[in-house]
Amino acid sequence: MMDRRRVLTGVAAAPLVLAAPAFIRRANAQSVVDVAGVYSLSGTFANVGSGLNDGSKWAIEQYGSAAGNKLNYVLLDDRGDAGEAVRKVQEAMTQRGIKHVIGCTNSAIALAVQKEVYARKGIYINEAGADEVTGKDCNKSSFRWPVACYSAVNATVRPLIDKFPKAKRWYTITGQYVFGDSLLSNCKDVFKEKGIEHVGNSYHSLSDREYSGYIATAMAQSPDVLAICNFGNQTLDVVRQAISYGMKRNTKILAVWSTGLDQFQALGPENCEDIYFGANFWHGVDTPGSRRVAEIVKQKTGDVPNYLQACGYAVSQILIEGINKANSTDVPAIVKALEGLSYEGPTGTEMIRPEDHQVVKDYYLMLGKAKGAMKDKNDLCDVVAATKALPPPEKTGCQMAASL
Amino acid sequence: MSAQLLLFQVLNGVGIGMIYFLLSVGLTLIFGLMRFVNFAHGAFYLVAAYIAYAVVIWTGSFWWALLLGPAIVAVLALVIERLLLRHTYSLPHEAQILITFAVALFLQEMVILIFTPLGHNVPVPPALSGVLFLGPYVYPAYRLAVVGVAALVAIMLWIAIERTKMGSILRAGSESAEMVGLLGINVDRVFMATFALGAALAGLAGVLVAPLRGVEPFMSAEALGIAFVVVVVGGLGTLSGALVGGILIGLVQSIMSTLWPEGAQLMIYASMALVILIRPTGLLGRI
Amino acid sequence: MHATERFPNLATAIVLAALVVLPFTVPATLASQIAIFATGALSVVLLLGAVGLLSFGQGLYLGVGAYVCGILVRDAGIGLIPALLVASLSGAVLAGLLGSVIVRRHGVYFVMLTLAFAQMGYFVVLAFKSVTGGENGLSGLPRQFDILGLSIADPLSMYGFMAGAFFLVFLLVQRVIASPFGSVLAAIRENEPRSEALGYPVARYKTAAVALAGGIAGLAGGLHVIFLGFVPPSDIELEMSQRLLVIALIGGIGSPGGALIGSAFYTIVSEALSEIWPRWMALIALLLIGLVLFLPGGLWSAGRRISALFERKIAHD
Repeated sequence: MMDRRRVLTGVAAAPLVLAAPAFIRRANAQSVVDVAGVYSLSGTFANVGSGLNDGSKWAIEQYGSAAGNKLNYVLLDDRGDAGEAVRKVQEAMTQRGIKHVIGCTNSAIALAVQKEVYARKGIYINEAGADEVTGKDCNKSSFRWPVACYSAVNATVRPLIDKFPKAKRWYTITGQYVFGDSLLSNCKDVFKEKGIEHVGNSYHSLSDREYSGYIATAMAQSPDVLAICNFGNQTLDVVRQAISYGMKRNTKILAVWSTGLDQFQALGPENCEDIYFGANFWHGVDTPGSRRVAEIVKQKTGDVPNYLQACGYAVSQILIEGINKANSTDVPAIVKALEGLSYEGPTGTEMIRPEDHQVVKDYYLMLGKAKGAMKDKNDLCDVVAATKALPPPEKTGCQMAASL
Repeated sequence: MSAQLLLFQVLNGVGIGMIYFLLSVGLTLIFGLMRFVNFAHGAFYLVAAYIAYAVVIWTGSFWWALLLGPAIVAVLALVIERLLLRHTYSLPHEAQILITFAVALFLQEMVILIFTPLGHNVPVPPALSGVLFLGPYVYPAYRLAVVGVAALVAIMLWIAIERTKMGSILRAGSESAEMVGLLGINVDRVFMATFALGAALAGLAGVLVAPLRGVEPFMSAEALGIAFVVVVVGGLGTLSGALVGGILIGLVQSIMSTLWPEGAQLMIYASMALVILIRPTGLLGRI
Repeated sequence: MHATERFPNLATAIVLAALVVLPFTVPATLASQIAIFATGALSVVLLLGAVGLLSFGQGLYLGVGAYVCGILVRDAGIGLIPALLVASLSGAVLAGLLGSVIVRRHGVYFVMLTLAFAQMGYFVVLAFKSVTGGENGLSGLPRQFDILGLSIADPLSMYGFMAGAFFLVFLLVQRVIASPFGSVLAAIRENEPRSEALGYPVARYKTAAVALAGGIAGLAGGLHVIFLGFVPPSDIELEMSQRLLVIALIGGIGSPGGALIGSAFYTIVSEALSEIWPRWMALIALLLIGLVLFLPGGLWSAGRRISALFERKIAHD
């Protein structure tokens, strides 16, 4: 983090300012550990970044300390720029000696920061969605909380197939980028295994907003299910437009990857009803871990936690659990402690897989309910299935080193 | 692709095209008279869409939103024209591009400041929800209504431009603003009115499209991009150009989404580049 | 550009002094970033300032240079300098090809063409995701680089390299402007039909300028990638083109030194402001409006006006 003073007065003050926190720290009886959170508060991902940042910050506040060390949250605002994220992490780790890093606003940032933190022997907990984070780009420093494409597809498509055995014709609308393609290929694997007829796929690009053409093409195939393989606003646009063309009458619609509450609210009950969504977190699932999250979020906002806050909370929690179990802030010790650790996370009992540092947790299949059936303004969907479906470690492409 | 699907894509494409016309006509009018590209066009669209969201949340009435959105945006445009743009007419055209670009940036940040960066849904007015069955086809009633409004706007604008005194001043001004000034007409006022009208049209599009797409702070980029492509292809400065350009781009996008879906967006920008290179005045343009 | 700007020693001295002082006033990593974006902004300054061509698409060439450099350094095991040269060349070649076609159009059509191609660039990167990594960017680049045996891994040496690269490009741009070629460009900027009438192959001159600017942007992209150790997809997004343009405008397109001032100002201010107020872009936007209306020459011209005031004062005393 850059001190404005350093910029405006600069020169000789710089070395003194750098040394100061260390002096202060030594003078203080209790040791402080800085935890850097890498989030975008401006730029195109500002909505995602600020929610995640809140979650991480509040978790640190709620825990307060770990293994006798006071926790100090340091925000590294990358302004939506992966390059800026890397530069800030570089600076934090080399100038401020920070070794504990959490957070990312998108996968490009996570993948870049992951390499940076590993190169400097730090520890990094993130919430990216790309497979590669615990796949071919995995490393000993990095851990990831939300489950990715394989899990999302298997935890939504399979239960849906079991629920509607007669629905054999599936159409997919896919974002033509790495993430969308991964969702699609995982879908195809399940289709093949379960004897589903994949009647067609329409690719769309990252900046598309008009989907009527793809919806028309899909409807021409009279599919039983439309599986939407993209993320973010694009998912919302496809759902909204598919409903407007009346697709709901004859076709079940599944949004494989959704961020839950904030997206349901963006759609409104009329666009959620009878639609199937996949989600990494839902506030309605009551577990000891989710209660902790709900408590601090209620205190801060008066409302229930959404995915962003829960996710931000989770990455902080993992780091803190690791420090506590290792009873030290030493990075290799934390890494060792985390591998195989079970703890009470926002979705219930969660476990960190040693082979790829992926958290094993539930992914939900949810169904939107009618406006009249909603108990409160947040009760937009019900959980239909909760599944822990993870790719076998040998299939992830991850080659984890033996030690840091 | 079956004949039935093809026909649907063609019809759907025309529908999309009419919406794109509505998105672009404000831009082309401003260029026709004032000879600059209003980079704040998308921002006016954005602001009106958010006004629609706010009005619908507070009053529950979409019709009020339809009135207030364009009106407020027109006033905003007037203020911008008087305070900022007026001083740039004597400067090279880059100045107008850069100022409107900065205004767009500012407005976008203001929207995020007031409404947070999260997207929101604008419900379709209940009277227009549901689908229409046209033979073997299904078409959303609201979309059809928007297409209808676009057609109405096209007709009204045509009448206004071709048959009224104000319109003839506009047409004359497009040929030569200097001459119009020499004829004793207050060119400043004409510029102001045209800029406000262009903004109001962008705002109208924003309000109408909000239930189709929802509102989110970066929706201005799409509107600006589409508007650029449509007016360039159709011809900068002419009403008919915006209409033809809009329908053509709508058709390209719709048909491509079955033939080569991943290339649909690329084709739009490629068409724009192609037209500029081969026939820069566009299909129907005169400038 | 004024006659006094032709290869002026004062401007060069100021820029050199600024480059030397920079790492002592801001963290070295930030200084490197400033130097890199200053290099990118030079491409805008060259086109807009010297030739009068407003390009909303320099980010395309920066992005192309970034990906080319990244792929070469990671997969082809080529050394640092050759990779940068190839990155710059690819930017220049692409710009030359597109430019030869784009320069036939003028004014707003030229601007919109640059926009259209910039949009297409991002699309192509996503389409070839197996090569570029798509929206995840390209990672896995080597982290240690040597120039003639000297490592540039630590922040200060890295800055030294970036600043050196910027300074070389700065001198090149100064040279170009001062050369006969630059004079023709200036003539084209002032009055194109006249230059045409005088017999100059205007289109060819413009294409050459576009190609040169593309090469500069490509080099900046390569430098960015070396600095970061990976290729962010944002390097080829429209936002990058806009950022370079904003930096050039703030600094002042009237002189190549403006690129450094603009980059320093933009980077430091956004860094400082973003921590206070996430909506800092609104202030940059207001600044831009103010600059267009009151200070079209950017901060560099403000500096010159102040120095002119001093000169007048000295002359009077």
